[in-house]
Amino acid sequence: MTLEEIIQLMLDSFFKILIPGLTRTIPLTILAFSFAMVIAVICSLIEYAKVPVLKEIVRFYVWIIRGTPLLVQLLIGFYGLTSIGVKIAPFTAAVLVFSINEGAYCSETMRGSLESVSYGQFEAGYCCGMNYVQIMRHVVLPQAFRTAFPALGNSLISMLKDTSLVSNITVTEMLFAAQRIAGRTYQYMAMYIEVALIYLAFSTILTKVQKWGEEKLNYYGGA
Amino acid sequence: MTVLEIKDIHKSFGDQEILKGVDIKVEKGDVIAILGPSGSGKTTFLRCINFLTETDSGQMVFDGKTYDMAKMNRKDIAAIRKKTGFVFQNYNLFRNQTALGNVTLGLTTVRRIKKKEAEEIGRSLLEKVGLSDKTDLYPSQLSGGQQQRVAIARALAANPEIIYFDEPTSALDPELIGEVLSVMKRLADAGMTMIVVTHEMDFARNVSNRTIFMENGVIVEEGPSKEFFENPKMERTKEFLRLEDSRGIVK
Repeated sequence: MTLEEIIQLMLDSFFKILIPGLTRTIPLTILAFSFAMVIAVICSLIEYAKVPVLKEIVRFYVWIIRGTPLLVQLLIGFYGLTSIGVKIAPFTAAVLVFSINEGAYCSETMRGSLESVSYGQFEAGYCCGMNYVQIMRHVVLPQAFRTAFPALGNSLISMLKDTSLVSNITVTEMLFAAQRIAGRTYQYMAMYIEVALIYLAFSTILTKVQKWGEEKLNYYGGA
Repeated sequence: MTVLEIKDIHKSFGDQEILKGVDIKVEKGDVIAILGPSGSGKTTFLRCINFLTETDSGQMVFDGKTYDMAKMNRKDIAAIRKKTGFVFQNYNLFRNQTALGNVTLGLTTVRRIKKKEAEEIGRSLLEKVGLSDKTDLYPSQLSGGQQQRVAIARALAANPEIIYFDEPTSALDPELIGEVLSVMKRLADAGMTMIVVTHEMDFARNVSNRTIFMENGVIVEEGPSKEFFENPKMERTKEFLRLEDSRGIVK
């Protein structure tokens, strides 16, 4: 193929790769990250408040997830479950595994941020007559979230890129689409670079959003 | 009218007894200064009577009720705290709230006062402490003296029967101490009941009406401030005051 032909191929395939990005990669990232946040907040609060028994369960969960490869978790979540008779769509499996995986990492981030809020904030709240829940909601959690925000932003960006792994469980996301075209045309270099550039564009947008969010949250001079 | 009475309060940390039976009786409008060297138990005493630190034994009479301080339930503690204010040495302002938010948060969450009404109260309290132009600033944008004045406004918001001050000027730069003390003096003049743990001899001498000297977990001497400073009875008190005096001269 001549250079012109390669460029033409990249242009022609652009939407064929971008569209799975918009219909698979982005929804997967948003859904999984949202669920992960819910898991993270619940788990980090359990650990922070040292709830008996539940705290041990959370530790066990975090230990398993952080100690095993994401790709293996994906394979278990789709092929593993399918092979023992659980009917699950590849996309559903992907959302499930990413939520659980990301939830474990983010709960550790949240826990660290909660613990960085000084105990004096509690004492001040109690002296105002507030109870534990009110103090958590109006004082501690907002401060912890501010501290956690940059790290959570990083996690989101890295998760966006990690979603390329779901091509392994037959979800037709961007990498899957690029690989299909590459397999047909043998233009591996061009296709992989193209898909890399699209990921780069997505990550860049997220980085900008993160920056903007940090500035928005920085109104009180940080933690 | 007696606002608060504490009888025979004891507190140990490990095998070290910090409070060895302290009694105090506070009448309405009293401004009580508690003096003493560090480690004397004065801060622990203040924290115990607002239940920030658990007490081993002791009795409290407050708001017409008698409490066994070693066996407090959450409801009683909450009820007492709603009628008391506490000012910390290091201010402990809510870092994610503006000056106004710090004052109103207790009103909107605990007392369920409408936000607009709470803000009106908050603004007038901040005006009282001379900060009406700082209402929308966050703690990190305020000086130590300003933060402490916000903390005082926050303590006032609950319209408390009594306010406890735990070394309110000890963390401040010398030039910022005056603004906080003058706010406290104004409160005292307005008839607010206050217990102030402090190292400020001038405040104890000129603003408080009673002074207590604590050491090693007991009250060594107490009396009307004028008498306490002009005519201390105990040897140990005289020595302490002499030491503080010479410190003042060096300053």
